[in-house]
Amino acid sequence: MPNVITANNLTLGYENDEEIIKNATFSIKRGDFVFITGPSGSGKSTLLKSFYGNLAPRYGSLVVGGLDMVGINKKNLQELRTHLGIVFQDYKLINEWTVEKNVVLPLWISGYSTEVQETQAKRLLHHVKLTGKEHKYPLELSGGEQQRVGVARALSKNPFLILADEPTGNLDEYSSNVIWDLMENACHQLETTVVVVTHRIPMVFNIPYRHFTIDENGSIYEVH
Amino acid sequence: MKFIKGHISLIFPLIAILLGLEFFIVFDRTTDSFEKGLQEGYSMIVVSKDEMSIDDFKAWDSHIEQVKELEKSKILERLNMNKDKAEKNSFEASLPNFYSLKLDDYLTVDELESVKSNLQKSSNILSVETFHSAYQSKYELFSFIKFSFQTFIGFMTIIGFFLIVKQMEVWNFLHAQRMKVMEIFGASLFLRSKVLINMALIDAVISAILTSWLFYLFKNSWVRGSQMEILKDNIEGVFKFSDVFILLFAAITVVLIAVFLVVINVKEE
Ligand SMILES: Nc1ncnc2c1ncn2[C@@H]1O[C@H](COP(=O)(O)OP(=O)(O)OP(=O)(O)O)[C@@H](O)[C@H]1O
Ligand SMILES: [Mg+2]
Repeated sequence: MPNVITANNLTLGYENDEEIIKNATFSIKRGDFVFITGPSGSGKSTLLKSFYGNLAPRYGSLVVGGLDMVGINKKNLQELRTHLGIVFQDYKLINEWTVEKNVVLPLWISGYSTEVQETQAKRLLHHVKLTGKEHKYPLELSGGEQQRVGVARALSKNPFLILADEPTGNLDEYSSNVIWDLMENACHQLETTVVVVTHRIPMVFNIPYRHFTIDENGSIYEVH
Repeated sequence: MKFIKGHISLIFPLIAILLGLEFFIVFDRTTDSFEKGLQEGYSMIVVSKDEMSIDDFKAWDSHIEQVKELEKSKILERLNMNKDKAEKNSFEASLPNFYSLKLDDYLTVDELESVKSNLQKSSNILSVETFHSAYQSKYELFSFIKFSFQTFIGFMTIIGFFLIVKQMEVWNFLHAQRMKVMEIFGASLFLRSKVLINMALIDAVISAILTSWLFYLFKNSWVRGSQMEILKDNIEGVFKFSDVFILLFAAITVVLIAVFLVVINVKEE
């Protein structure tokens, strides 16, 4: 299987602050399901940000989807991002847009027709068990429902890589289960690579997964 | 309601700027001939024995810019003499030459006097008459009014810009979250700012139309009914249909600059 993410001596830090991730070397392959854990402030979110080009490597190399993230240009970064599915702990939905429009944001950005958008929205909202709420606005939904919209949005364009930062952070069990099921399915059936930052790996998980952990010093280990 | 409020706060300063611009244009247009008239009234008449060229005049005083010879036949016509043609011709030949001089600048009374005395040094020049006292004060008043008016418009424009930038900051705040989310999902700068551009363009069009309409009303009710000769004489200059396009162009330029400033200031977190 080809590598989706390759890091060599990857070192990350914000501006002139101290280093947060130090000398990380790892690779993630197509179809891998990876959990990243570690203490608060260890740099889990920081690592994820570097994967979608929100933070450039300070030293070392990082290749995502075949693109060198060191000095990547705007155009390539935009192109890469249209093929990613990103899920945030704070959802980051567009509050003045309906649920339906939020879900198909990636399709809208890539210029898909309204018919495709509508069909996809219907299908995805069914998967995240939100049928009937397509015309509601995010703030009219519960936290768990909003995050399910966030996951539906991440999946809407069949990304090759899903990046999720504490997607089930403080959600109820029902919403958490819906989300894990969807990610398992995407990984298992479509060979989508999934990288999830979480403080707790779910008790019941139906597919094989890898587990990376970051320690207080910013070193990354794979737990076997 | 929120929608209207957001738009009003952009349309209002935009109209202020456009009104200023249109007043500026209209003022220039309607007072142009008035100003020229004042300038022309501000001239000197010289009577000389022999013919003189512009260079002959310039040799005496460098302020002289233009020279126009007054035709003797016209002067005779005005005198309306009851003589036959031959008599007229011989009389015409015996007349000295009359010149109207234009100066290069608006001179003070003292400076004018010095030009006058310079010219009188020439033995060829029989007489110099200046016509300034009546025009001088009128022209100075006009210049003062024009200056105050343009300063006022200048200030209005600055305040208008200030208000637009303020409103843009509000928009920035309202739209920053959405633009950031779009950016994370790979939307181009154009796509991210599309909503803002659309809103701004709508406001620009509304403002240009409202301003044009106000001027149209101004022209057709107030000016027509007013006693102000200078406006009535130049009523076609008060508002021309082509001004709609000038205003539209100005409004669109202003809002696009504003949108651009907002969009480039939205940073990824
Ligand atoms: N935008 C930023 N600018 C500067 N420093 C930052 C920024 N974001 C995070 N940090 C710092 O980087 C370190 C790692 O933060 P990060 O958010 O990656 O931790 P985390 O592992 O995700 O923690 P948590 O489990 O609490 O979410 C922290 O010390 C934090 O203060
Ligand atoms: Mg975090």
